[in-house]
Amino acid sequence: MLTEQKLQSFKNIIHESSRDEIIWMSGYLAGISEKNAVAAPPAFTENIISTEKLTISVLYGTETGNSKKIASKLASVLKGKQHKVTLKALDQYNADNLKKESLVFIVMSTHGDGEPPAAAKRFYDHLYKKSHDFSNLKYAVLALGDSSYPLFCKAGEDVDLKFKEFGAIQVLPIEKSDLDIYAVSDAWINNVVNNLPTVANALLPKPQPKHATKNGKRFYKGVVKTHINLNDRGSLKETWHIEIGTDEAIYYLPGDALGIVPPNADEDVLEIISLLSANKNQTIDYKNETITLFDLFKTKLNILYMPLRIVEKYAKLIQSELPSVRLDLKNILALYPFNKDVSLEDFIAILEPITPRLYSVSSSPYAHGNNEIHITVGRNKFLVNDKKKYGFCSNHFAGLNDGDEVTFYINSNERFHLPGTDKDIIMIGPGTGIAPFRSFIFHRDDEGASGRNWLFFGDQHFHTDFLYQSEMLSFFETGSLTKINTAFSRDQKEKLYVQHRMMQQSKELFNWIENGAYIYICGCKNTMAKDVEATLINVISEEAKLDKSEAENFLSMLEEEGRYAKDVY
Amino acid sequence: MAESAIEKIKKESNSLRGTLKESLLDEHTGAIREDDRALIKFHGMYMQDDRDRREERAAKKLEQLYSYMIRLRLPGGFLSAQQWLALHEVSEQYASPVIKITTRQTIQLHGVLKHHIKPTIKEFDTVKLDSIAACGDVNRNVIASAHPRFSAIHKEIFLYAEKLSKLLLPKTNAYYEIWLDKEKISADEEKDKLYQDRYFPRKFKIAIAIPPYNDVDVFTNDVGLIAIIENNNLIGFNVSAGGGMGMTHGNAATYPRLASMLGFVNKDELFKTVYAIATTQRDFGNREDRKFARLKYTIDRMGIDVFKNEVEQRSDIQFQEEKKYDFTIRHDEYGWHQNHERLYYYTAFVETGRVYDNDKVQFKKAFYEIAKSGKAQFRFTCNQNIIVSDIQPEHKTEIENILQQYGIIQITKTASPVRRNAVACVAFNTCPLALAEAQRYLPSLIDKIEILLDKYNLNNEDLSVRMTGCPNGCGRSVAAEIGFVGTAYGKYNMHIGGDATGKRLNKIYKENIEEAEILNSLDELLKDFSGNKSFNESFGDYVVRKKIV
Repeated sequence: MLTEQKLQSFKNIIHESSRDEIIWMSGYLAGISEKNAVAAPPAFTENIISTEKLTISVLYGTETGNSKKIASKLASVLKGKQHKVTLKALDQYNADNLKKESLVFIVMSTHGDGEPPAAAKRFYDHLYKKSHDFSNLKYAVLALGDSSYPLFCKAGEDVDLKFKEFGAIQVLPIEKSDLDIYAVSDAWINNVVNNLPTVANALLPKPQPKHATKNGKRFYKGVVKTHINLNDRGSLKETWHIEIGTDEAIYYLPGDALGIVPPNADEDVLEIISLLSANKNQTIDYKNETITLFDLFKTKLNILYMPLRIVEKYAKLIQSELPSVRLDLKNILALYPFNKDVSLEDFIAILEPITPRLYSVSSSPYAHGNNEIHITVGRNKFLVNDKKKYGFCSNHFAGLNDGDEVTFYINSNERFHLPGTDKDIIMIGPGTGIAPFRSFIFHRDDEGASGRNWLFFGDQHFHTDFLYQSEMLSFFETGSLTKINTAFSRDQKEKLYVQHRMMQQSKELFNWIENGAYIYICGCKNTMAKDVEATLINVISEEAKLDKSEAENFLSMLEEEGRYAKDVY
Repeated sequence: MAESAIEKIKKESNSLRGTLKESLLDEHTGAIREDDRALIKFHGMYMQDDRDRREERAAKKLEQLYSYMIRLRLPGGFLSAQQWLALHEVSEQYASPVIKITTRQTIQLHGVLKHHIKPTIKEFDTVKLDSIAACGDVNRNVIASAHPRFSAIHKEIFLYAEKLSKLLLPKTNAYYEIWLDKEKISADEEKDKLYQDRYFPRKFKIAIAIPPYNDVDVFTNDVGLIAIIENNNLIGFNVSAGGGMGMTHGNAATYPRLASMLGFVNKDELFKTVYAIATTQRDFGNREDRKFARLKYTIDRMGIDVFKNEVEQRSDIQFQEEKKYDFTIRHDEYGWHQNHERLYYYTAFVETGRVYDNDKVQFKKAFYEIAKSGKAQFRFTCNQNIIVSDIQPEHKTEIENILQQYGIIQITKTASPVRRNAVACVAFNTCPLALAEAQRYLPSLIDKIEILLDKYNLNNEDLSVRMTGCPNGCGRSVAAEIGFVGTAYGKYNMHIGGDATGKRLNKIYKENIEEAEILNSLDELLKDFSGNKSFNESFGDYVVRKKIV
């Protein structure tokens, strides 16, 4: 076992030692060897540590706010026990996720004639519409009601029955509470906490996200699962929340972007092919790929608002004079017809590919799983010759319907990732700039990150344009969002922006920065980001008593340390 | 049993301040904080949300569309022309434009967003209007017979309404500090002998009727005062106590109740008497269960004699025997009238009290123009109508032309008696208590009832139909000849058999029925009534005589 040399030394020491010394040595060696055994972690310990926390969803269906109150209380008690807890209103909860859950507690009120609350109707219907497999799910229901109605607590009972029917396992039998809710609900919360399932049989392994592959783009095929215009009626804005589901796992981190090559409109493509007097099914070789002409114009080539360099190349190609004006390809072809002497291949060679668009991902792989990704797309509206026109790509998204296919890739954004879980973060994201921060907050909530989170959000009107408001409010109530400040520019006579709120919070803001907080800005580059940066410099200069250039240096230093990052467009 | 949660909130509210100031500054929500939702009522406001929009907003990940209802304190229901202009502007600028005339002679605005509350209250303050104590566990708006025919007495009664309102107003300065940014006053000035730190156990309502008019539905109030007039002089009041409409579905221990007569007091004894009733309720009312907190339960628990004795002890005034009076009419008398000073009054019919403009009639445009002329003032009635009042004879034509131009005279003249007598509370989409529709639905139900009345030749019957969206009773359905009380969406308990002047409550006839069954029942009842009623017998009296209920 020992090398020749070691063995010799060992024998020498023994040879030179008394009997007592040898006995002492043997005990000492035994001690050392045991310690080493303890110090080296056994292979299974890590698993235990990483699964000590339960992953729990607390859901509520509320009409008057009582269910919400009780659910919030349960969530905070469970969080206090270090479990990973997600609190959600049923109207915010995608019932498809139930099959992925392991432990769910539901507080459900009954309204009117045994009806579920309006906000829980979609969830309730989902349970009744089709059969589900909840065999991995453990749950308990607290039903609220008014015993003076004949169908007392009916909605809660229905949910309990359906869960049972779909194979879920009751942690506790259903509890019903009359109008005097607090006596019952407090006891129920106690019961829940004392009867949590043991870790080993409650937790399903969670897919761990991996970094996107570095070499080249990897395209995912997904299907639109949900698309919602987040702005309310009467808003001048149109912001789409889009959820895309995939069969294969998507690997990304909060802060990353989703890249997409938006396809051209069918009618534009057909018009161009007809102007070229070509056949849409004709195949052509393009970049080592054989593809139909239709697909080529539809999915590969830019045909809108052609750059002048292409206009010039086309003029040369057809040997004619073209004015230096940017037009769509179909207009160019209509005004300056394609010359039959030119080959189609030569014509295609002067065209350029569609530029991919990037959108900050607004979901978290932890909170939403690896088979789902969300983006937040503002539909750009602008006027051209008094006609309303929409941005090409945002219009593409706004026009998508549930079930439509989307091809996308992940664009890693190394400089815009989350810091360690114990670090504080300050997020400044007005408008669609909130997208990566929704991802951040969901992610940190799911991780149970101890660092504090502060969000600055702004838009035009509070009542119509507060993107993801109900989610942010739940995070605020459970403490996952420590502070939230908002500025709505058009709700008062003077325009009010996030930077004004930051200035009002100057002292506290600098406290956070001094404490090591990471600062993130996301949103419009030309106006917001500049103003916010100027405000940050003001805050630093005012609070740290530095002159302007010193404050600028301070901020650059933060940037070098990776504590100040911008994702602006 | 422990005191109810609201009692604790009141006591710890620092004289109704709570955290209202902080709530207004919360940037992330259009709501106010939990406890403040109870306290803001004492300032005349309710936090509500648009219930029609809940599902859609939830899908958009937006919180409920919170807004506030602001109700004015208008003792006797009077607005000057200048005040009307301010109300009009506020309703256009900060609220949903409908001005709702309530069943308690005031108006309320809906849909005021949180950041518009302060500007609204400020605007009202510039014309000396406030919303203090218009809701909450305090004395509510004091109502009084509105009809101008008795305006010699009416003027005096109107002053009593104002004085009673003032007498029972909370002393706290909170309203001025929170909504109007006024300076704090000393704690001594704020000391409230009446309300202390606990206010009443529940709402407290006072009405004054001038016989033969019972437009205020006097017996449905906690304190019902009946003006006694001898030789054209007001001599005093018959005092009744313990009326209230509210009940809870399925809880048989709760019930609507008409006020019990305590007796007559001279007019100089009125304030002391009412004050003693108020403090008795404050000290004896149930503070554990709000369902049993109204004065009616206090009286039934104590016994009327013990209660009366307690009031007499506290006021040091003995009730005399009640004086004779007679109520003959409860609804409004529409159209033109002239008073003793030869001033003209026009009582306009406002269906379910909603003042707004539509294709047929433009109330807001008309009243705005009248107010601008400065040639009339405005009075509200408990039947949710409006009286364009105090018009000099030489201005009558001008006002009449405006009323004509905007369709008000036409609609007042052509509406059937059953429509003109109908009353409905707000209910959906803003009232958080509503179980069923009321003001949005009743007009279309009346369309169908009119067809039945026509079928049995009962078009001129002065039938009173009232609807409330829940059993709390804002629409006073249980004091109607035909009353509907919402139980669930589209479903109502149907009550019949109240009398036409507010002296007898109706009884439940059918439970939980939908429109088709309502109309079937009415078809049978009206057929029976038209064939068998005696001369001048009202529908309510008929169904009681025939023991149908």
